[in-house]
Amino acid sequence: MASLISCPHCGTRPKEEFLIRGDATPVRPAPMAAEEAWHDYAHLRANPRGRIREHWQHVAGCRRWLVVERDNFTHEVFGVTDAAKAGEGAR
Amino acid sequence: MAYEYQAVHALDGTIGAIAEQRTNHLSVHRMTAVAMVLAAPGQTAEAAGILVSNGEFEARFSGPGEWLVLSEVHAPETLAAELSVRLGDFAFVVDQSHGRVVLTLSGRDAARILANGIAVDLHADAFPIGRAANVLCSHLSVNLARTGNESFDLVVMRSFAEALVDDLKVMARSHDLSVDFATR
Amino acid sequence: MTAYRLASGGLVDRSHAVRFSFDGKSLTGHAGDTLASALLANDTLLVARSFKYHRPRGVVTAGPSEPNGLVTVGSGARRDPNTKATVAELYDGLEARSQNRWPSLAYDVGAVNNLMSRFLSAGFYYKTFMWPAAFWEKVYEPLIRRAAGLGRTDLPRDPDSYEKSWAYCDLLVVGSGPTGLSAALVAARSGLRVILAEQDFVLGGALLSETTPIGGEPTYVFARRVVEELQNSPNVTLLPRTTVFGWYDDNVFGAVERVQKDVAVVDAAKPVERMWRIVAKHAILATGAEERPLVFGGNDRPGILTASAVSTYANRFGVAAGKSVIVFTNGASGYRTARDLAAQGVEIAALIDSRMASGDVAPTGVRLLHGSSIVDTKGRYRVRAVVADRGGFEELIACDAVAMSGGWSPVIHLACQRGGKPVWSEALQAFMAPDVGAGLVMAGAAAGHYRLSECFDDGARKASAIVEALGRPAAGLERTAIGEEADPSFTALWHVPGAKSKAFVDFQNDVHTKDLGLAVREGFGHVEHAKRYTTGGMATDQGKLGNINAIGILAGMRGVSPADVGTTTFRPFYTPVSFGALAGTSIGEHAMPTRRSPLHGWAARNGAVFIDAGLWYRSSWFPKAGEKTWRESVDREVRNVRENAGLCDVSTLGKIEVFGPDAAEFLNRLYCNPVLKLPVGKARYGLMLREDGMVYDDGTVSRLGDQHFLVTTTTAMAGGVLSHMEFAAQVLWPDLRVRFLSVSDQWAQMSIAGPKARTILQAVVEDDISGAAFPFLAAREVRLKGNLKARLFRISFSGELAYELAVPAGHGEAVADALMRAGATHGICAYGVETLNVLRLEKGHVTHAELDGRVTPDDAGLGRMMGSGKPDFIGKRLSTRFGLTAADRMHLVGLKSMEVEKDMRAGAHLLKDGAKPSTINDQGWVSSTCFSPTLGGHIALAFLKSGRERYGEKIVVWDQLRGVETFAEVCDPVFVDPENTKLMA
Ligand SMILES: [Zn+2]
Repeated sequence: MASLISCPHCGTRPKEEFLIRGDATPVRPAPMAAEEAWHDYAHLRANPRGRIREHWQHVAGCRRWLVVERDNFTHEVFGVTDAAKAGEGAR
Repeated sequence: MAYEYQAVHALDGTIGAIAEQRTNHLSVHRMTAVAMVLAAPGQTAEAAGILVSNGEFEARFSGPGEWLVLSEVHAPETLAAELSVRLGDFAFVVDQSHGRVVLTLSGRDAARILANGIAVDLHADAFPIGRAANVLCSHLSVNLARTGNESFDLVVMRSFAEALVDDLKVMARSHDLSVDFATR
Repeated sequence: MTAYRLASGGLVDRSHAVRFSFDGKSLTGHAGDTLASALLANDTLLVARSFKYHRPRGVVTAGPSEPNGLVTVGSGARRDPNTKATVAELYDGLEARSQNRWPSLAYDVGAVNNLMSRFLSAGFYYKTFMWPAAFWEKVYEPLIRRAAGLGRTDLPRDPDSYEKSWAYCDLLVVGSGPTGLSAALVAARSGLRVILAEQDFVLGGALLSETTPIGGEPTYVFARRVVEELQNSPNVTLLPRTTVFGWYDDNVFGAVERVQKDVAVVDAAKPVERMWRIVAKHAILATGAEERPLVFGGNDRPGILTASAVSTYANRFGVAAGKSVIVFTNGASGYRTARDLAAQGVEIAALIDSRMASGDVAPTGVRLLHGSSIVDTKGRYRVRAVVADRGGFEELIACDAVAMSGGWSPVIHLACQRGGKPVWSEALQAFMAPDVGAGLVMAGAAAGHYRLSECFDDGARKASAIVEALGRPAAGLERTAIGEEADPSFTALWHVPGAKSKAFVDFQNDVHTKDLGLAVREGFGHVEHAKRYTTGGMATDQGKLGNINAIGILAGMRGVSPADVGTTTFRPFYTPVSFGALAGTSIGEHAMPTRRSPLHGWAARNGAVFIDAGLWYRSSWFPKAGEKTWRESVDREVRNVRENAGLCDVSTLGKIEVFGPDAAEFLNRLYCNPVLKLPVGKARYGLMLREDGMVYDDGTVSRLGDQHFLVTTTTAMAGGVLSHMEFAAQVLWPDLRVRFLSVSDQWAQMSIAGPKARTILQAVVEDDISGAAFPFLAAREVRLKGNLKARLFRISFSGELAYELAVPAGHGEAVADALMRAGATHGICAYGVETLNVLRLEKGHVTHAELDGRVTPDDAGLGRMMGSGKPDFIGKRLSTRFGLTAADRMHLVGLKSMEVEKDMRAGAHLLKDGAKPSTINDQGWVSSTCFSPTLGGHIALAFLKSGRERYGEKIVVWDQLRGVETFAEVCDPVFVDPENTKLMA
């Protein structure tokens, strides 16, 4: 885990200011998508080693949800993006 | 039956009298009007343009498109209304005068005291006068603003005000601190 | 008398006597002494008993890697066990006691272990305490616990306080020796923000015990001048007495500053230790190098120290370790110590050099033995003689101290704490720090540049590079002439062959060479296995002194290079850190913040008993004179609400205002029930699900304007729901034009419930709130008499005619007082959360006792609320999945105790009448219970298999924990007024 996270809105802050939700890669399926897709979305998470994308919320700061891209082995943080912006890229 | 609803401050009854202000002083504001401004989606720049601080109020960054606006001029009842008029459709304005407590910490050791609970570099080059941000102070989220070389404002949720003052006293344990209500 | 204070020399203040005690004996030292130097000056060599064999031990080093000189300082709740005497600053009134001995240091019963040592070999614990398993708890563990453990702590609460601080800098310099000072000076002069941390109480490091002049001056004078310049630089923070113990992600360093560890009487108002978290753009480790002990027979007797420690005691503290000293060395460093001692007039009994030849020159008149070694030592509580082996010829040489030098190891711990593995240097015969990137660089002796001039140059050079990397021009340092420099060269000698007695590798854990041999023979030769098998390196010093020799010995036994053996893993903390410092101020009432309701003062005035509810402090009940139990008060409050009226503080509910053109659509997707068509001025009960179809939270939704809503959450989930909404708005549906804000703290909110609620409220509210003007579920702004704007909601949790009135928080107490005055003639009472709970239970309303994350809306009897026609809402898709719609799911039911005397408890299980009490026969569970004053009996809410089809059934409430079984009748969960006539009145 990183000690510090650079919030794109607030600057560099300690990890204690954030809430970590977990894997940011699952995308919410369409409302009537197959139950299997919903099951995957709600219940299944891979646990890969290396570069991952996670949802962190800056709860003690701007309260924005962020996508933190980091390496869970080396703890290197590659980038922190506002989740709404990160979503635009994904769409 | 008379209907008068005397307002009670969140810190009434929790702060003892002091003989004089010490090297560092924590001043509790009684009358500051506070409003939260939320820019309408897509209207952040427009709202920001209108919120440029003037003599009447000061807008402090809270989050993208969100500002905490403080005024010593407007009454709590009128600040939100005044801002609504100015901002029109560009933003939603919510009165928070009762929801927040405003404190000013000033003195030679102000930044040093805050460093005992806040993980933000408060060197004047890194956090200059006029800068504001929501930060974690000890266990609580507060809006911190630098108002002078040696003075900072902290705005906290009302229900946490007493806990914050207690925390600040502990943070200032190695320094000289007095606490009192602001005179105005 | 053997060890003694020299007539002159050293940096201690001889004019300032300091009184202290060791094991009750009063002694005197000087200001500037460590406890160790003062003990040595008093010829107190025996300071401890070793861990396993209880062997007599004295100090070995003059610094933080000390394995032997651990003492307990202070007494009572202020006692600090395992304090290193070599680091502890001497102060007036210091009380130290030795450890690991009984009844006394000289006559220690545990020393019998030494005689039994052949039974206490490596792997002893693993082999001996194998079985039977039951023996562990009763025999082995208490036995080991009594015998093991160095030092004792006391149970009374720590009376001291601690503090945590954040600090930021361009450059953190760790260590204030020649390297650190020159690095800090370059950076300071170049305008960088610099923090210089030094574990010692005096800045200067090796310069404090160096004899070579700099620019014609003693080195300590030079050091003082540099420190003075740094002190006067506004951009520099000097932190003496501060140990940097850890290097964490993103170049954050942990350090502990000993603020009041040098005083007998602590100022309780101020911290004794301060934990720093230092965020450094760059860091230079100028931590120097550690001299290795030599591993020879009997190398652990008191009076045997590292050569550099002997030099430090002589040069810095003016203390001779003995009157007749033998120097045993494998390199040039031993010669330097011999020169230092000779210069002070201390006799050198012999200089024993393990090398066959060398160009090093012994002081005049000193007997020099090349190609020789020590194979054994004599003496009981201190060394009296050594057995020297001169090429197969043994000779007993008398002495009262031995200075040993086994070569040098750079101090690289911090650089290896984040996974980087040390790199073996064949040239330096030492492990070096790996390249860990630009954020942290090693300099000076820590980087293998041992000579004084190299340290100055390397420190300055590396600081200059950092200054330039930060985009500034680097300032220069003036060159100073340095006198003759000590030569650090040596020829590795991991252990001396032919030891005649135990040759210790790890002093603190009593690991000797034979233990390592056993580990290799038994297949535990891997460095990590050998560590666990022998416990070498597992003591409080974590093998700072001994590990390198252990690795060299393992390499020799396995016939490989130390590079192939490698090191064990380096982890924080470099030296032990007190729990107090780690906890900082987060203890007692400062461990969690307390939230106070705006109606707290009102509740207190009305005699409330308060209860912790999460972070909140809520009014629980309001006892009246003569009421002896809480039940009496609650029963009265419940009856009074049902018959007259009551006022309850509900300010703690989460309140969130939602704005925007898509606010209605957003809420429609957030709640499982429809919100889109909620009219302005109306409230609605709302149920939020998780995506898996389970209920997440419930509350109310009120439409205050076309694009303006107010939602409430439960007190417990207020924070979670806000985050959940933010996730939905920012991540799931960023296209929806919606904004929201928690307004929980802006409003004081009170519930006024009971048949007389309207009458009472109307006395205070200006607007018409008659049944026609303000029907059930009306929600809008009203004006109170006296011209105060408020929000009024006609919602009910109790089943009574009820309202929730919200006023700006500061006015809350006055409005509540006004309502109490207005209600006095109508019999109003204040009620708390206990009564609130009974009222809602009687009415069959659920809380998080029921909505525990395993419950669907249908389970809770709220299935009809689901807006199945909506195209999408959170939880919609998976709420129809297999299993969630099964007929035998647990349904919310009511239970009435059929036994007057017997209550029911939440958590009890349900059994069919006559079924054997067993989880196999489990039919459900009880979620909430109370005594119902309205029904005159014990009631409960419970979840029961197919429960809605089983009303009227007699069932067993099985409370295995208390061993109680109660018969109960299954019923509709709405116990009172199922027709809602009271509610709609
Ligand atoms: Zn932020």
